[in-house]
Amino acid sequence: MGGVLSFAAAPPPPLPPSAADRLPVEDTHKDDQSEKVEKPAGEVDWLNLPCPTSYDELQREAMMSLKPELFEGFRFDFTKPLNTKFSLSHSVYMGALEMPSQSPETFKVPTAHYEFGANFLDPKCMLIGRILTDGRMSARVKYDISENLTMKINAQLTNEAHFSQGMFNFDYKGRDFRAQFQFANNAFYGGNYIQSVSPHLALGGEVFWLGHQRKSGLGLAARYNTDKIIMTGQLASTGLLALSYVHRASEKATFATDFMYNLANREATSSIGYDYLLRQCRLRGKIDSNGTVAAYLEERINLGVNFLLSAELDHWKKDYKFGFGLSVGEF
Amino acid sequence: MGGVTSYAAAPPPPLPLPPPPSAPDASATHDIEEKDKEKQEPTDWLNLPCPVPFDELQREAYTSLKPELFEGLRFNFTRPLTQKFSLSHSLSMGVLEVPSQTNEVFKVSSSHYEFGANFLDARCMLIGRMLTDGRMSARMKYDISDKLSVKVNAQLTNEPHLSQGMFTFDYKGRDFQSQVQFGNNAFYSANYIQSVTPNVAFGVEGFWLGHQRKSGLGIAARYNSDKWIGTCHVSSGMLSMNYLQRVSDKIALGTDFLYNSSTREAVCSVGYDYLLRHCRLRSRIDSNGCAATYLEERLNLGVNFILSAEIDHWKKNYKFGFGMTVGEL
Repeated sequence: MGGVLSFAAAPPPPLPPSAADRLPVEDTHKDDQSEKVEKPAGEVDWLNLPCPTSYDELQREAMMSLKPELFEGFRFDFTKPLNTKFSLSHSVYMGALEMPSQSPETFKVPTAHYEFGANFLDPKCMLIGRILTDGRMSARVKYDISENLTMKINAQLTNEAHFSQGMFNFDYKGRDFRAQFQFANNAFYGGNYIQSVSPHLALGGEVFWLGHQRKSGLGLAARYNTDKIIMTGQLASTGLLALSYVHRASEKATFATDFMYNLANREATSSIGYDYLLRQCRLRGKIDSNGTVAAYLEERINLGVNFLLSAELDHWKKDYKFGFGLSVGEF
Repeated sequence: MGGVTSYAAAPPPPLPLPPPPSAPDASATHDIEEKDKEKQEPTDWLNLPCPVPFDELQREAYTSLKPELFEGLRFNFTRPLTQKFSLSHSLSMGVLEVPSQTNEVFKVSSSHYEFGANFLDARCMLIGRMLTDGRMSARMKYDISDKLSVKVNAQLTNEPHLSQGMFTFDYKGRDFQSQVQFGNNAFYSANYIQSVTPNVAFGVEGFWLGHQRKSGLGIAARYNSDKWIGTCHVSSGMLSMNYLQRVSDKIALGTDFLYNSSTREAVCSVGYDYLLRHCRLRSRIDSNGCAATYLEERLNLGVNFILSAEIDHWKKNYKFGFGMTVGEL
């Protein structure tokens, strides 16, 4: 794969301990765990590395800043807590759905749906269910079997045959590593493992097997994390490369950029955005290499009442989506 | 009507009350809230108030009931260059409905930018607008004298034969208003409205369309008091009536009825108009199953935030839009 950037091909030299914090972000494949350094004060304690974030949430900060839930039309969410653990949620959405069409223009058809949901949240157990007016139901369960082992179930059921999906995950959290096994209903089996190699760097890998299509794949990931920046990189044998970089300029302003490259059809997309968390509002904006500009504003009108504004302009395809909404309740 | 309960079968006994302030007269059948001293003055039939022009007969009701709903984003910026001259930039990004054979509604994204220039003077008003698709509209209003004013209205497009121009001459008399119009498709029309009492005005209109050899006549009536305004307009197959009640200086309720005798369709709508300190909220519901709302919120001096929503339950068509208006207008 000559086209792929080669990161830090050489293994890191044995360093004076403080320089380990200034390693550039790179996807090294060697885990030099056997380094044990005697500690002068304030140095790296290689036996007590922090537990890394889980493999699924590697790029979470970048996704939250760069990919808000943009919508078109009107949205109203109402969450009503019935007691401290149980709450119901009603969500109405009226807007446009894009219809696939042969011409380059996008056609939109007005649609509306209502979603009813119930949430039960406990320190050990979390149950979330949603049902839509078109008959789709989604259910999520997260249960802490023990302090280190967690089970998650995620199911999406529909009326149409063969479209329902269910996935079971078992997560084990070790002292400085996490491991996960996944089983899903299409004979999908997967596993991933991520390990902290330094107080700021974590490396991981994943493997999956899709029974029905006899496909299997491998993936590698790295995450470099300090107070100010977070850099992640992911590479998969299906031909996807995803890199992201998040920079916390202050506690109110965060900037993020991400890059995705698809080796199969040689398409690359890059986006850059900001996330301002102000006292009364949260404003996220981003611009894309596909010529798309998007912004999402959540303004806190009152305690628990949020006013949402969403805008997405695709200058290339000349497609504009604007929406506003209201969100009542704690979320 | 035997089933009706009859109240007050016996007349009330004569009581030692102070005499009632004034005897009710014929014009009090609707105006029970009129002040007493107005009832006591006889109507000065030679000094009736001047009525509103014929075009603006139904203006109050339509302003309250039919705000300019839109879909998508709208941004208007008005920049005054001098006291009389201002420029306006208007950006609108939204959707256009594409006609389709099936009952479904198809929408395609569209956007346009409109540049405008306005000159406003005590005697003369010039307004020009230019759109990105090549359409231009120009309006001029000039007061030739105290009573006579001329208006010119032109819409020019790229496509041939679609441009229009209209000249209007308005004459304002002491208790009447008359208007004559000439349009470019051999369109001629005239209308005349006259106050017949301090509150009632009657009007007539006629038009002739040369190219299609069509002509029409119409009559209109308007009742106007402090508390409510009722109008009725009948013309060449269309009947339109509306009623606006000013409950207080902040709240107005209105209703409107439109009947088209050629297609035998009737539409009725009811709505309200709340004029509060920081916002103006207008809503209405229609007999076609259409509910609409328009909110203008004043964020700052000259900065208005607009929200528009229209839900057509019958056709299942939903239109939502938000926008911002910066500048004095």
